[in-house]
Amino acid sequence: MNFWEKVTGSDLTRDWKAFEARAAALPEDYRPAWEQIKIHLLPQGDFTGRNLTPILDSVLGLLEETAAEGQGVHEVLGDDIPGFCTALAGGEGARTYRDRWREQLNRNVARKLSRLGG
Amino acid sequence: MDDLTEMLKGTLEGCVLEIIGREETYGYAITRQLNELGFADVVEGTVYTILLRLERNKLVQVEKRPSGVGPPRKFYALNDAGREELAKFWAKWQYVSSRIDTLKEGRG
Repeated sequence: MNFWEKVTGSDLTRDWKAFEARAAALPEDYRPAWEQIKIHLLPQGDFTGRNLTPILDSVLGLLEETAAEGQGVHEVLGDDIPGFCTALAGGEGARTYRDRWREQLNRNVARKLSRLGG
Repeated sequence: MDDLTEMLKGTLEGCVLEIIGREETYGYAITRQLNELGFADVVEGTVYTILLRLERNKLVQVEKRPSGVGPPRKFYALNDAGREELAKFWAKWQYVSSRIDTLKEGRG
């Protein structure tokens, strides 16, 4: 990523286009699952969403591998796509919105408690 | 048996470590082995996220190899840290299961 890409996000646009092209090559029943995965992963992103690129890349890798095995999407992901996405993004070390919300909540509660305590 | 997922959550990682510990293997084969064992509702996505976590925690050694069909497959083998973790898992399992058995038999 050079400076130009950093400012314009052009590298991201390029990556996302490549992802969509790979997703379009997956079997028909995989398509809705891919849309779901994107919806559930986006809130885990940082400001630019750059931390999601390696995750999306590896998920596509999994889907491509399993599609080649002839597995149906349900055999691969089951019913819990949100849970799958959380597990994927969890522990990544990326500062996500969720972490920030959690911190904020912790701070607010601590402040209120200390006020109560006098 | 249905609805084992909640109960399995903490132990599945240990099961995957054990399977990898026996021989180098890949995600699809691990999932099938768990299914055959009787964990029918374990899907590949679940195993995949466990494998990712093992990789992040540097407990496995990963190698990409070409497969007959489709993209190259990732093969997993345990490293020393992984073997240590596996031994810890069985020690913990032994403890938990013996405590729960004691409770069940009313000696607790």
